[in-house]
Formats: sequence, C-alpha cells, structure tokens
Amino acid sequence: MGAAAVVAEAVRVAGLEKSYRGRPAVRGIDLSVHEGEIYGLIGPDGAGKSTLLKAIAGVLRFDAGEIDVLGTRIDSDRAAERIKPRIGFLPQGLGLSLYPELSIEENIDFFARLRLVGKPELAERKERLLAMTRLAAFRDRPMKHLSGGMKQKLGLICTLIHEPELVILDEPTTGVDPVSRRDFWAILSRLLRERHATAIVSTAYMDEASRFHRLSLVYDGKEVAAGDPERIREKRPGSLVVIDTARQADAVARLRPRFAQVDPQGATVRLFAEGLLPAEAGAAVAAALEGLPATVADAGEADLEDVFVSLLREGAPAPPAAPAPPHTPPARETRFAIEAIDLTRDFGGFRAVDHVSFSVPPGEIFGLLGANGAGKTTVIKMLTGILPPTGGRGQVAGHDMRHAAGAIKRRIGYVSQAFSLYQDLSVVENLRLFAAIYGLSRAEASDREAWALDLGGLRGHERDLAGSLPMGLRQRLALGCALVHAPEVLFLDEPTSGVDPIGRRRFWELLFRLSREDRVAILVTTHYMSEAEQCDRLALLFAGRLVADATPKALKREVAETEGLPVEMHVDRPLDALEALAARGFPEAALFGPHVRVLSKDPDGDMERLPRLLAEAGVTVHLAERRSLSMEDVFVHRVRALEETGGGRGEGA
Amino acid sequence: MRPPEPPHLLGLSRRLRQIRVMTGKELRQLVRDRALLIFIVYSFTLHMFVAAGSEASDLRDARFLVRDLDRTPASRELVSRFLPPHYRPAGEVAHPGEALDRLDRGTAVMLLEIPEGFSRTIDEGVEPATVQLLVDTSSANTGYLASAYSARIAARYGAERAQENLARAGAVREQLPGIESRDRVWFNATLDEKWFSTISELLTMITVSCILLPAAALVREKERGTIEQLLVSPLTPFQVMFPKVLAMIVVTLFGSAVAYFGILLPVYGVPARGSLLLFFGVTALYAFANAGLGLLAATFTRRTAQVGMLMLLTVMPIIMLSGIRAPLESMPGWLQAAIWFSPLRHFLEVGYGILLRGAGVAELSDSIAVIAALGAVLFTAGLLRFRRQLG
Repeated sequence: MGAAAVVAEAVRVAGLEKSYRGRPAVRGIDLSVHEGEIYGLIGPDGAGKSTLLKAIAGVLRFDAGEIDVLGTRIDSDRAAERIKPRIGFLPQGLGLSLYPELSIEENIDFFARLRLVGKPELAERKERLLAMTRLAAFRDRPMKHLSGGMKQKLGLICTLIHEPELVILDEPTTGVDPVSRRDFWAILSRLLRERHATAIVSTAYMDEASRFHRLSLVYDGKEVAAGDPERIREKRPGSLVVIDTARQADAVARLRPRFAQVDPQGATVRLFAEGLLPAEAGAAVAAALEGLPATVADAGEADLEDVFVSLLREGAPAPPAAPAPPHTPPARETRFAIEAIDLTRDFGGFRAVDHVSFSVPPGEIFGLLGANGAGKTTVIKMLTGILPPTGGRGQVAGHDMRHAAGAIKRRIGYVSQAFSLYQDLSVVENLRLFAAIYGLSRAEASDREAWALDLGGLRGHERDLAGSLPMGLRQRLALGCALVHAPEVLFLDEPTSGVDPIGRRRFWELLFRLSREDRVAILVTTHYMSEAEQCDRLALLFAGRLVADATPKALKREVAETEGLPVEMHVDRPLDALEALAARGFPEAALFGPHVRVLSKDPDGDMERLPRLLAEAGVTVHLAERRSLSMEDVFVHRVRALEETGGGRGEGA
Repeated sequence: MRPPEPPHLLGLSRRLRQIRVMTGKELRQLVRDRALLIFIVYSFTLHMFVAAGSEASDLRDARFLVRDLDRTPASRELVSRFLPPHYRPAGEVAHPGEALDRLDRGTAVMLLEIPEGFSRTIDEGVEPATVQLLVDTSSANTGYLASAYSARIAARYGAERAQENLARAGAVREQLPGIESRDRVWFNATLDEKWFSTISELLTMITVSCILLPAAALVREKERGTIEQLLVSPLTPFQVMFPKVLAMIVVTLFGSAVAYFGILLPVYGVPARGSLLLFFGVTALYAFANAGLGLLAATFTRRTAQVGMLMLLTVMPIIMLSGIRAPLESMPGWLQAAIWFSPLRHFLEVGYGILLRGAGVAELSDSIAVIAALGAVLFTAGLLRFRRQLG
C-alpha cells in the first residue's frame, strides 16, 4: 500500500484467529481502520464478519492475534472494559438489541442512562437524532410496533447516544427496505463526518461497497481482498459485457469456453471479461458470437461482485453444468402459469397485502422484490394455498386457487425461507421423503432422486445430514426436494439469503435452465437488489402494495428518463459539497463513502458543470464519473413517487 | 380443501404409502434427537428403579425420643413395642426442652413421654393411664403415620393389660367380648408396594412421553419451517398429524414392553394376571389419546420452549389428580367430575385391572370405550385447530 501518509489508526487487527469448538470462524485476518472512515466488511453468512466485529468490540475472547482499538491493546477483559465507553456496538439482528415493550424515547433514555450520559446532553442529542432520523413523531410508539427500517434507525440512535469515537455495526441494513437503507446510510455518513467518528460496518450486500471508504472482502474466515473499491477492482481488472440475444443458451455455450464468468440474466447474457478493457471486451465477445443473432448491449466497468467471484474462484474451473431432466413435462395449455388478481390479505386490522395483481407465463422467472414485512411471503403463501386470501383471486398451473388447492399442490414446488429441510435427515432421506409425499412410484422416485443429486452437485454427500451441509449445498438440496415431482410452477421465498456469491450464481444458473429448458414458471422473492436483475420480470412490493411490475431494463430506463443517471464526484470537502448541491437543485445528493453522488438527466453536461458550481462554494472536485443505476435506485424512485402522489392507496394496481 | 379425487385403490395405496413414509420419518428424527432419546430410554428403564425405591406411603425409620419418668417394667414394655422398621429409637431425654430442641432441629420426629405413676395407674385400673406423644407433622404423611401407628401400639398394649387385669380378677379370656379382624389381602398378597409404584410410574411415563413427544415434533416443524413445506405438498393435515401419533404409539409400545419384560416382571415380579395382549392394545389406544392431547396443545405454541411450559399446565394436573398420587375418592365432587376427562384416570383402572386383578375386556369395556372416545375427540380437535391455523 503506497499512499500511507500519517494516518491515525482507529482499529488495527493483526492475525486474528478464533474457533468455536474446534471450528475455525476467523483464520488470520488483518485489518487497519483509519480514523474518520467508514470501513466495510463484506462477505456471506459464516464468513466470520460477526466474530471479527465482536472481538473488536471487546465482547468476545479470541484465540490468537492482536487487536488495538483507539490506541488500546485488547489483550485482557480489563482492557476491553476500558475501551467500551468509547465505542458503540450494534449487534446483528433487526432490533434485537432493543426492548420491544419500551417506546422509542424509553429505549433511547435507557441506553443513555446505561452509558451515563448527562441529562442536558441527552436532551440535546436525543432531539437532534430523532429529528435527523424522522422518528420524532413516533417517540411514544413501542419499539415492537415499528417497521424494520425504523427499528434499525432507533438501533443506530441507541448506539450513538453516548457519542462514541468508534461505531461497530453488524449487518445493520440486512432485510431493511431500500428507502430506509438509503436514509440509514445518509444519517450514518453525516453523523460520522460531523463528529469525526469512525465506523466499521458489515454487510452481505455487495452493492453497498460504494458506501465505504475502504473495505475488506471476507470469505471463510479469511480476507480475500482489502482496500478502497477502486483498488480492489484493480486486483482483477476486467470489464462487464451485457449481450442481447434471442438465443441465450447458444450464446452461453459459445462464451463459456472463452470466459470464466458467463451468466444468463433475464433476457440477456452478462459476462466478466477478465483483463480486458470495455472496448476490447466488447470486440472479443462480438467475435465469439459471430453468426449468432446477438448484439453487445453494454460494455463497461465491472461490478465489485464480479471481482469478488473472480478472486474466490482463484483459477478454479467453472462449476459443471447441470444435467437436463430426463423428461420434459407435457406442454401447457394455460396462458399464464401464475395469475394473481387483486390479492388482498388482512391480519386483524393490518393489511399485509393490498390488491396485488400480476401474472407469470410458463418459462419466466418473475421476481418479487421487497423488504422484510413488505408482504412477499404472504403473497407466496396465498398462491401456494397455505393462506386463504381475504380478497381477490388467482390461478396457479391452470387451477383456481380458491377451489382446486389439491390440484395446485401437486403441480407446484416450494422452497421456503431458510430452506426448511429436515436437518436431521440425510440428503437421500430428504429426497426420498419428498418423492413419497408427492406420490411418486418407486421407479420414478429413484430416477428423480438421481436427477436431483446431479442437479445440485450433491454426489458424494448422499449420506450427509442436511444440517451438516454448507449453505450453498443445503440450498440446492432444498431446490432438489422442491423439484422432485417435476412441478410446473416453482415458488422460492428468499432462497439465497446468506449464500456466498459463487453459490448464488450457481443457484441462479439452475433456475435459469429450469425456466428455459423445462418451461417452469418461477416466482422468486429476494431482498438482494442486485439479484433482482437476474429476473425476466420484476415486481416491487412496498408495504403490501405493488409499486412496479416490468422488466429490470424497463424499470431502469424509466428512472433514467425521469430522474437521470448517477454521477459521482470525488471531492475534498464532502459535507460542504452536499450543502452546495442541495442549494443548487440537487436535494437528493448523497454521500457514498468519501464521494458525493447525484442523479443527473444530463450526465455529460453535469460532469462539466458541477465541478464549476462546487468551485464557487469552495469545494474542489478531483474527479467526476458516471455510475450505473442500481435496482435500489429504481426501488427508491418508485416508492418516493408513490409517496408524492399521496400514497396512491386505492388507486389499484 | 381436499382435492375432489375419486378414492380409487391406487389413490388409497398412495395415501397409505405417504403415511408410512411420514411415520418412518418421525421415528428416524426421534432416534437422531439425542436429548429426546435419552429422555425416552430413561423414562422406560432407570425411572422404574427410581420409582420402586421411593416408597412414601409407609412409615420407615421414624426416629423417636423417650422421656420415661415412670421407669417401671410397664413403661419399658410400652417403649419396647416401638419397633423397626417403622421406628428407630433416638435416645432418651431428661428435659422437655431438650426434646423440643431436637424436634426443632429435625433429628427426631417424635417424643414419647411417659408420666410418673404410669404403671401404678394401669394396675389400679380406676382411671385410664396417659402418655404424651409429640409428633413433628411438617411432613404430613410421616406425621400422620407416626401418630396413627403409635396410637395403635398404645391401644393394643392397653387392651392386653386390661385383659390381664380382668383375668387376674377371675374372668375367662375367651369369654370376654371382642372383635377379631381377619384380613384377606387380594391381588397383592404381600402388600408389595413396589407393584403399585412401578406400574404407576410406567403409566405416568407413558403419559408424559405420549403428550410431550408429538407436541415437540409438531412444534419443531413449525419452528424450523418444515411444516410449510408439508402444507404446500399434497399431504392432508391428517397425513401430517397422524404419522406423529403412529410413531408415538410404536415408541410407547416398545418402551412399555422393555419396561415390563425387562424390569417390572424380572426385577420386581409384577404379575400379569390378565391378557398382556389386551394390556398393550389398550396402551396403544391410550398413546393415541395422549398424542391427540399433545398435538392439540402444540397448536397453541410456536416455540419449543413454550411446549415445556404447556406440559407443566397439562401433564402435571393429569398426573397429580388422576388417582396415582391421591385416591380419587378424596377429591371434591367437581374435581372428580373434571378428572373424568383425563384419559389417565381410565387407563389406571385398565392397567391395574389387567395386570393385578386379571380383568378382561368385559370388566374394562367402559374404561376402554372412554379412552377411545377421548382419543378421538382430542385428535379431531387438534386436527381441526391445525387445519384452521392454516387458514
């Protein structure tokens, strides 16, 4: 690392190791967090993020290595106690550190008293934080009645109330809706800037990388890469190419031998061309696809996730392609595999799903995108016949869900949240159980069992208990169980939560093949915004209502047309820049790590114009560059649009 | 909710296969759950020994103090009648205060005080001689037995002395009026309390495991989310619930057989005067009734931890009140009426009836019918609640 001027270190970790009952969780991690920065830890579940954060916060003893926090060596419980007053720690789990029966204000007061915050300071800080988080109007509401986003903001207030010098936040944004998530980042970066505090934040969302000054990618207890996002990208230089083609499968087959990371995505194929500049990559892809009806739609900067996957692969071969099923189900006469018309569901006085309508033809991957509590699971439960709707109707696999639940059940597959398999049964036992449940004959069952083992790459694990499998395998076993009876429609409720990026990609590849080769209609819910782009069609669900239903491309195009494209500027004084931009017609300007981002309808013009504007306010812009729109941008735009039209309730979907 | 499918043979055989496979799954999960397995093994084996070892209904080793102010052969004779195994002498005391102190500290449970002139009063025969008995009744059962036995010893000694006095006065002993009680002890001739206690505990353990295990199995499926996977499958709620009952019946029968043939019969000689086939048949029926209760209880909970609390609320009253711990007749009428709805109350009659009294179907048909009816009602109620929870 060359750019080392004299920077004070807030946290230094060297060679940290920690095992739980002989199972290594962290295996030699080094970390250096500078004062005043937001440092990110990105990795899937089980990568060791929480262990690392707990060790830094002084609430977990570790086996080997050194940790220095705010200049104190954490080598004993007493040392850990000494620094605790100077740090704030928000453990993982939405609202788990808060008291459900206490109101917002009582929670804040409690944490303040715990931290011995004086009365006048408390009053001043509380008002400021409540105003900033827009929670002031709800100060008397019990925490248990708050939405996920509000809980998370309250958690942040309670962590910051004693004005710690170091804030440690463990997955604060997981499962929070994109609007609240955006608020959360805005508040955090502003507060830390104002107070010159330091933060370490972990996340499972790769697309949050741009929020950090610097970050570590962790996997399996080890660091895969560290540094600022640009530097990590430099570790695996390459370009992202998106190809439009009507013959996806052929295109993938042609590209796979030449490029290691080729993934079908929606109606396109997306590939990471390692070591090539965008123009070169585009040309190379075009050459490879010579003769196929395909066009290179886009060639540009790679996503961090592509880089992460490439680093994780480390030369390992691409996973073997899944086998085709032994037989294809009969052709279907129904036009739509899933049709929901005005589905509504009330729980007591609470409307969880509000007049939701959409339809999915056979062979389509349909994504239902939304935060925890948005109503995704309720929609799936109604369509699968677990939960009767309060109102509305629908048909699944050609049968009316109100009258033919039994017929529907035989034709659908379902993977519930957290892939609920029998963890105490082995892989084969799980498959056989579901084969028998679906009434397969012995011969059919053994055919499908073999097919599912091949599909999931589960050979060699037949006798392992499902609970002992790593997440990725467990998820593919769940998929195999759901597909054992060759269903026409597949429902997946957050199937990839917590799975590492390679496992996620492999899983999506399986879904893609099922939809294209077997014409299975797939409805999948997710709160990973980046994953949503893999769907053919997307519905955004917010507070029980459908706020959009279109292809990912169309959704993005609409935002680009109405709001513009993101432009990111590297500036010397970010807070002043924000103020200056807000005063000059960019109220939505936001901090992304050390940089400032605005949406611009004329990116090329603004990249010239904005640096001049900011110069008038005394802010120097070192660099201005375009960024691409994310699904999160789309989601936030849609929800804001809905809020502006007075909530839009009752105008129907 | 059911698909309108004609119940042809193929459909039926498929349904039966589904139930068989699901039952196998339940048994497999049970065997792999180490905690539950240990619980079952303990319940049907070691616990029987524990039960046999804890006889509470007889007086054992009651330590008694003596303050003999008379010091005559008559007073010594009375003291000598307090014999082991019921009593154990704990020494003599000179002062009442010392005795009270030892009662307070719990090193003795009884003080026998014989006043001066005890022997003389008996010989004169003008007025009854008195002795004082101080009994620590903080343990009511022990206290009650200690005082009751002591009263009997004193009464018998008194009667014998009275007869001697009369004989000396010329009366012929055989001509004196009196009632002699000739006991015939039936069913348990040696009054071996272990018979009662081991059978009681076997029935208790059948009860506990039959309620607890299906409830735990259902709640675990709720907790891990596997229940949803079953609900979206073509299985009916009955096919989800009934295999849990079947699995429990298998486990209960196996456990009971091990307990009876492995411990009750060889170790304690508990007889089976009636048909063992009938006994195990009714045990299966009883397991079904209790599993129904357990499943019904499980529909009220979402977490495994709650099952434990719910068990305290259902299993404890059933065991305390059904007639094992205290005779039914000693309870108020309304409680007896309520307890009629406890399957255990009826199963007790069947269990003691078949094993000890050699009763057959004819004598026990009422109890068996009630167990079957309660089982059907409880299971149906559980099934209905389960089905309603799904929507």
